[in-house]
Amino acid sequence: MKISRQGTAAAPVPKQMQRSKLRREIARHRSVYVLALIPLIYYIIFKYVPIWNSQIAFKDFMAIDGVLGSPWIGLENFRTFINSFYFWSLIRNTVMYSVGKLLISLPLSVILAIAIYECTRPGLRKVVQTLAYLPHFLSWVIMYGILLALLAPGDGVFNDVIELCGGKAVDFLSNTKTFPWVVLISDAWKEMGWSAIIFIAALMGIDVSLFEAAMVEGANSWQRVRYITLPAIAPVIVTVLILKLGTILDAGFNQIFMLYSPQVYAVGDIIDTWVYRQGLLEFEFGLATAVGLFKGVFGMFLVLFANWLSRKLTDSSLF
Amino acid sequence: MKALRNIMIAMLIALAVLPLAAGGSKEAAAASGDGPVTIELWFGAAMTEAGMVPDDWVGYDIIRDKLGIDLKLTMLPSNESDQDVKIQAAGAGNALPDIFMVRRPVLVNLVKQGLVSPVDDCFDKMPHRTELLYDKDAKAHATVNGHIYGFPSPGMIVRNEGLLVRKDWLDKLGLSVPTTTEEFLEVARAFTFEDPDGNGVNDTYGYGAFIEIESNLKGYPGSRLWPIMGAFGVEGLWSLKSGEEGLNIYKPEFYDFMVFLKGMCDEGIIDPNWLSYKKDDFRAAWKQGRFGMMYEQNAAYAATSNYAPFDKNFPDGEWIVIDAIKGPEGKAAIGAYDMNYRIYAVSRKAADAGKLDKICELLEWMSSDEGYYLLGWGVEGVNYVLDEDGIPVAGDLGDMAFTGSKGQVYTQLRNLVFYNGDVELASRYPTYITEVSKKEMSALKTLREMQAMTWTNAIGSGNLPTPNADVKRFYEQTLGEFLTGARPLNEGTWQEFIDGFNAIGGKAWNDEGVAYMTENGLLHD
Amino acid sequence: MAVKVQKHLKPQIQNKKVKLTAADHVFNICVNAFMVFILIAIIIPVWSTVTLSFRPADFLGTNLEGMFLPPWDWSTDAYTALLGNDGFLDAFLNSFKILIGGVACALILTVPMAYVLSVQSLPGRKIINMIVIIPYVFNVGMIPAYLLVKDIGLIGHLPAVFLPGAISTYNCIIMRQFFVGIPNELKESARIDGCTELQVLFRIILPLSKAIVMTIGLYYGVSFWNDFFNAMLYLNDNYPLPILLRNILLASGMNEYVEVSAFGNAPVNAIKAASVFMSAIPMVIAYPFIQKYFTKGTLLGSVKG
Repeated sequence: MKISRQGTAAAPVPKQMQRSKLRREIARHRSVYVLALIPLIYYIIFKYVPIWNSQIAFKDFMAIDGVLGSPWIGLENFRTFINSFYFWSLIRNTVMYSVGKLLISLPLSVILAIAIYECTRPGLRKVVQTLAYLPHFLSWVIMYGILLALLAPGDGVFNDVIELCGGKAVDFLSNTKTFPWVVLISDAWKEMGWSAIIFIAALMGIDVSLFEAAMVEGANSWQRVRYITLPAIAPVIVTVLILKLGTILDAGFNQIFMLYSPQVYAVGDIIDTWVYRQGLLEFEFGLATAVGLFKGVFGMFLVLFANWLSRKLTDSSLF
Repeated sequence: MKALRNIMIAMLIALAVLPLAAGGSKEAAAASGDGPVTIELWFGAAMTEAGMVPDDWVGYDIIRDKLGIDLKLTMLPSNESDQDVKIQAAGAGNALPDIFMVRRPVLVNLVKQGLVSPVDDCFDKMPHRTELLYDKDAKAHATVNGHIYGFPSPGMIVRNEGLLVRKDWLDKLGLSVPTTTEEFLEVARAFTFEDPDGNGVNDTYGYGAFIEIESNLKGYPGSRLWPIMGAFGVEGLWSLKSGEEGLNIYKPEFYDFMVFLKGMCDEGIIDPNWLSYKKDDFRAAWKQGRFGMMYEQNAAYAATSNYAPFDKNFPDGEWIVIDAIKGPEGKAAIGAYDMNYRIYAVSRKAADAGKLDKICELLEWMSSDEGYYLLGWGVEGVNYVLDEDGIPVAGDLGDMAFTGSKGQVYTQLRNLVFYNGDVELASRYPTYITEVSKKEMSALKTLREMQAMTWTNAIGSGNLPTPNADVKRFYEQTLGEFLTGARPLNEGTWQEFIDGFNAIGGKAWNDEGVAYMTENGLLHD
Repeated sequence: MAVKVQKHLKPQIQNKKVKLTAADHVFNICVNAFMVFILIAIIIPVWSTVTLSFRPADFLGTNLEGMFLPPWDWSTDAYTALLGNDGFLDAFLNSFKILIGGVACALILTVPMAYVLSVQSLPGRKIINMIVIIPYVFNVGMIPAYLLVKDIGLIGHLPAVFLPGAISTYNCIIMRQFFVGIPNELKESARIDGCTELQVLFRIILPLSKAIVMTIGLYYGVSFWNDFFNAMLYLNDNYPLPILLRNILLASGMNEYVEVSAFGNAPVNAIKAASVFMSAIPMVIAYPFIQKYFTKGTLLGSVKG
């Protein structure tokens, strides 16, 4: 495909011909457009009507008057959010958690996928592959109970060990220094196996003859992972990475909401928990929607940037 | 492949038809609106997790035949914030049901949006129910800007919590019941360091708690610390006593309390897990004998299934309800109390459709003898029998009894009729003999003991304005950091906290609250 | 040879001629150590939840002690109570309808969309790409979506739970990435043979993408099966399982005001733990089937054949 595109760009063609070529291309892809029709209609109804409705971000939304009838108030809702006393703290915490999760959970799930792929013991491989996704289903309510059993200052397993070694018990869940690690590690713990599934699927597409060729040339296992396996699944990793950047200001509401407490608001409160307390529970729907748009602008910028960067560096990109 | 494509095509058709089918059934429902009036009710179930009122419930027929009402029930989610979200979303879509249960802060928002109807005139149309359920305080709880927006029926019984101490531990260590903060500390130290359970391991603590806060009555660090806060006169979020009205946080004694509590944390005589516990963990902890003093609710402590694990673990164990401890200045209180209500609001849409009278008729019927027993306990002889005192009991009705696994779903609506009358309490909290230690227990007796202790009147707290999220966060976060040690606690930092709180909007919140108290006559001596 | 390669995951094991170097041994040790570490990390929460769900009512120890309770002391009270709950069967049926309807709709919509995005020569592809990516980034939240569902009359009907999420852009783009990864020669040669795009999709792309289509189907299935938020907002009397389970999980005050519990004698925590496994049902059933398609070198075999 690349070649043909470059071909059209290289040779300057008269406008007339360009247009007729375009027409021919469109005609050739007629059935593709037909295929796109239903999903696009779906997108317009289920994704773009809500975006149209999101004009309430610029309005003093009154339910009785509906979306169109509510009076415009300009950027008032955005101002409320940006002028919030904790605005910077919210942004900092949110970015800290989402970047932290990208740096910890994403590499771990790639490593797990490769380990499952490379494992030489079929029994171990099978057991891990079959069980790895299970923690994903333990809701955070249950996970909290498990974390408490491990981390509680009075009788948590970790603190028992610390005290045995002569240390002083740490209240991991109420300490502003340890809390972010609890969030990041427990997220990796719970979601790693689940996110690895997609990479395992990607690994299945690798042409195994490449490995044989590499072995003949004397490459060891590390080199094979480095030069065959990773490049082969790089497009999928990059895709996941770019997509996650698009939602960089979502840091995992359910998890934080279950784990945090007033003692650790300083490092625990994220945009979504703030919106929940200030917007959704207080009927400030214009505000909640405004924050959604704010996050979107941020995410859009990052996606476009990451996409551009990825095209420059790896020649694979989303669009 | 061909088969796969056929399947795809079939699915595509199904997809196109689905929304049509959905729309179709809706029209059918609307068309049958000729006969009885349809009333849609979103209710707070007595036990949401038990399941919906079954379709074969006799109540539906009685209500249709007698009142000409087609009752459509929807059970609200079990936790409050889910309820708030569901109701506000329906509000935003102007799709509220005819009558629905709602908390006051949400109700105030809905009133601002013009989505609920005032019901001032309705009380005269249901004299019997009004007499039983809706007194002056109740109406005040549903009043916004001078109009009553909804029917506030009584919720939980008030003053149903108390300070409990392990009597067996006191006896073993030769201590007497603490009456002052000094003695309280001594007992707490002894419970922590002198091995009160005699197992040779240092695994007990003096006091147990968890953070239980709520928007109006219970400010951080929450009601589980109230007996200690009471000794300093700072129990409850607001003080409604004339002369001291306003947020308790402004009293200098609040600082003294914080120093006292921080001291307990540093000394290790309060269960160090208290900051991490949620309600269930706390309750599991006292059943395992982790601490010897706590603040707990009567039924959570004394009801059969709640006390049973403790009874098995510690057949010789015994908790007693004690009175509030006195602080340095002689102050004492178990806690602050406000009335609890469940407001049932009527949507403006329903009022506009002329359904208000029918709704009154329905509510009045619910409080008639027929409705009261049917909603409260089910059908006599099937779900309950009356004992010699006229109290509904399960008897030998088995699964179908109102306490049984099949019968309990028939009484999901009971919160709509209960008003904490004597019959209800006797039926709800029977006296029983514990399985292992053969003690006579009664959550009702415990309740009466708890109610007789020293309490602070904070009636009307629930009607006061709520702060915005930033003010609330500042308040809770800073106090929390004082306790964990992330922020040093001394006169200077305390003053900084108060100044910061005032600057972020705490002062405005306080003034707004005081103004409301004064205007609505909530202050007392 | 090709068959053998598919059955085993480590080519050099068959290829005895290749000698393992020291680096290979270190590699294998690292991989296995990592796998064992992961296994332990997974088993702790899963096992503690399993044992919690089988905890008998008269067990008095802590959670930690409970993890070592021998199986002959286990009790199935929690499961019998949960399955015997009046609301359970109805909720399960509703959930099942949502699962089937949801996955069918999702795949019917997502597969063509992903394919369209993967046709790189398509004029206007960039525009379609933007149409897809914008709503993903601008997640405008609860109320704009609620207003839509209300306007098209879906409130109270099961499709309200899955239609708003019937295309997840995330899944769609992941799937597209897999489609793009299929060698171009295959698609081109099919086109030269006169296949229409629809035929290319059905004859070339889908047979080569079973693993990813199944995986994405699974992702959808799990998300619909466990969705409580849409169900809570949009449904009234036909609640699915997640609502029931959430009511159980968050019903902290069970037994508080009355002398009965919704679940007879089973301990509350056991019920909560048991309810967790209900949310994993579709996954536990479907994953082994899907794993069958997770075999190395599937693509290679197809290209050759």
